[in-house]
Amino acid sequence: MSIVLSLHQLSKNYGKVQALQQVSFDVPQGCVFGILGPNGSGKTTLLGIIMNVLQPTNGSFTLLGKQPSNDVRKQIGTLLETPNFYHYLSGERNLEIAATIKGVSHADIATVLEKVNLYERRKSKFSTYSLGMKQRLAIASALLGNPDVLVLDEPTNGLDPVGIAEIRNLIIQLANEGKTIIMASHLLDEVEKVCTHVAVLQKGKLLNTGTVDEVFATGDSIAVLQAENLDQLSTVIKTLEGVQKVQIKNNSLHVHFDMATLSLKTINLHCFNNGIVLSGLQLLKQSLESKFLALTGGLTVNQ
Amino acid sequence: MLHLLYIEWLKLKNYRTFWILAALYLISISGINYITLEFIQKAYENPAAKLIAGVHPFSFPDVWQTVTYMSSFTLFLPGLLIIINYTNEFNYKTHRQNIIDGYSRQAFITVKIVLVLLLAIISTLVVSINAAAFGITHNETPFSFEKAHYIGLFFVQCLNYFGLALLLSVLFKRAALAVGVYFIYITILENMIAGIINRYKAPAGNFFPIDSADSLITFPMFKEAQKTLPIIRPELWQVAIACGIYIIIYYAISYWRFSKQDL
Repeated sequence: MSIVLSLHQLSKNYGKVQALQQVSFDVPQGCVFGILGPNGSGKTTLLGIIMNVLQPTNGSFTLLGKQPSNDVRKQIGTLLETPNFYHYLSGERNLEIAATIKGVSHADIATVLEKVNLYERRKSKFSTYSLGMKQRLAIASALLGNPDVLVLDEPTNGLDPVGIAEIRNLIIQLANEGKTIIMASHLLDEVEKVCTHVAVLQKGKLLNTGTVDEVFATGDSIAVLQAENLDQLSTVIKTLEGVQKVQIKNNSLHVHFDMATLSLKTINLHCFNNGIVLSGLQLLKQSLESKFLALTGGLTVNQ
Repeated sequence: MLHLLYIEWLKLKNYRTFWILAALYLISISGINYITLEFIQKAYENPAAKLIAGVHPFSFPDVWQTVTYMSSFTLFLPGLLIIINYTNEFNYKTHRQNIIDGYSRQAFITVKIVLVLLLAIISTLVVSINAAAFGITHNETPFSFEKAHYIGLFFVQCLNYFGLALLLSVLFKRAALAVGVYFIYITILENMIAGIINRYKAPAGNFFPIDSADSLITFPMFKEAQKTLPIIRPELWQVAIACGIYIIIYYAISYWRFSKQDL
């Protein structure tokens, strides 16, 4: 698998503010790569540098295995931050400009407009479009020339739930066609639903990168136990090696443990050996959100 | 370059504001000259006028100077067109999108400079046609290209006015700010500063950016009367050099700034 985008020690300062600090990671071909981070973590700055609208303070990167150039950018479909179009022109005419710059046939315009359900409104001025339509036009523009790589910055921003679902389905569909998608998002849920790989950014620093499963598999897990006498259960469980924390919640016992050393089976066995029959045992999959907050240190995990 | 100009054409062809202002500009060129002619005509009804004021400013060859001089008062209008054209890109952030889509920064700013040159060429052509037409219809002296070098000076003046408009757009990025600073600077601010300086050290004030352009074409009327006034003027070649330097500075800074800045 070849590398679509490779960042090497990328840094960007705005005066004293360090928007990006020596960020390095690789995006493999064919993946849906999420760049995840809270607002202001440097996601858009990172994509802005890749697309040559911002100048890096330090570091370098390669796109499609080559040094960045205008011609390389023409092969990538990009939506950066907000839909940027001429307000006084229709959706169709705006796409004509984008297609001409990219050197893509104007015949493509109708195809991409149909793909995002804007064909009926192609003659309307951009300024009359709703927020969702503007966003969809920007995605249509990114799809011009059927590029193999798409860069989408907060693609579902400002959309209603139906619009969000539509765009996510479109992204998944594009990924199934074999396209590489690099997507910035502050929504964990979105990354979890759509992405295969992720890089987590916080305050311009890269915290972690890898496949979604790898990145979010770290940290503790929680088992929910139920028995007749919770206090007795609690005492018994605490004697088990590998248990980190025990809490009583809603008539059940939440046991924090490390999946590497303990399994549900050993927990069950331990209870049984100590004379307690469990009436319920369940692995509570920790939500991505709490994992993310744990990763970024924003808040402590509290289940 | 034709490809780049075609893209600019796509941006402009359906932009009504631009075309309305452009039409008003072309009308104003004829308008301001016509108003001047009407005014002069009244003055010259008095037979003594010729003695005091010299030859009729709308007869050949002086009409070249008169029409270029009067037309230069309309130059803020194409300046406005340039500012609108450029700051719109910043306003809509389409300059970013153009780059993202594969425009090079150099191509983006180069084609904007070429548009400015085109506007200067069109302005000069229209003013030439006006000068010829006013001279011919005035019909006092036969058609002549004598003093037609004022057309060339007008072109240089356009490059100066338009270059400042482009530079302010690149620096300020916002239409209201660029337009405000442009108008206040060319109408009041520079004249005020230059006036004060000329009062103590004439003609140093004539070497300010816009004044150097304005000094290329001197006041074309009442020439006999002007001779009696104690006005210290710089030589044409001196202001021409100053004006040329400013023009280079405007375009060079605009080019350099857009190539380097964060967009």
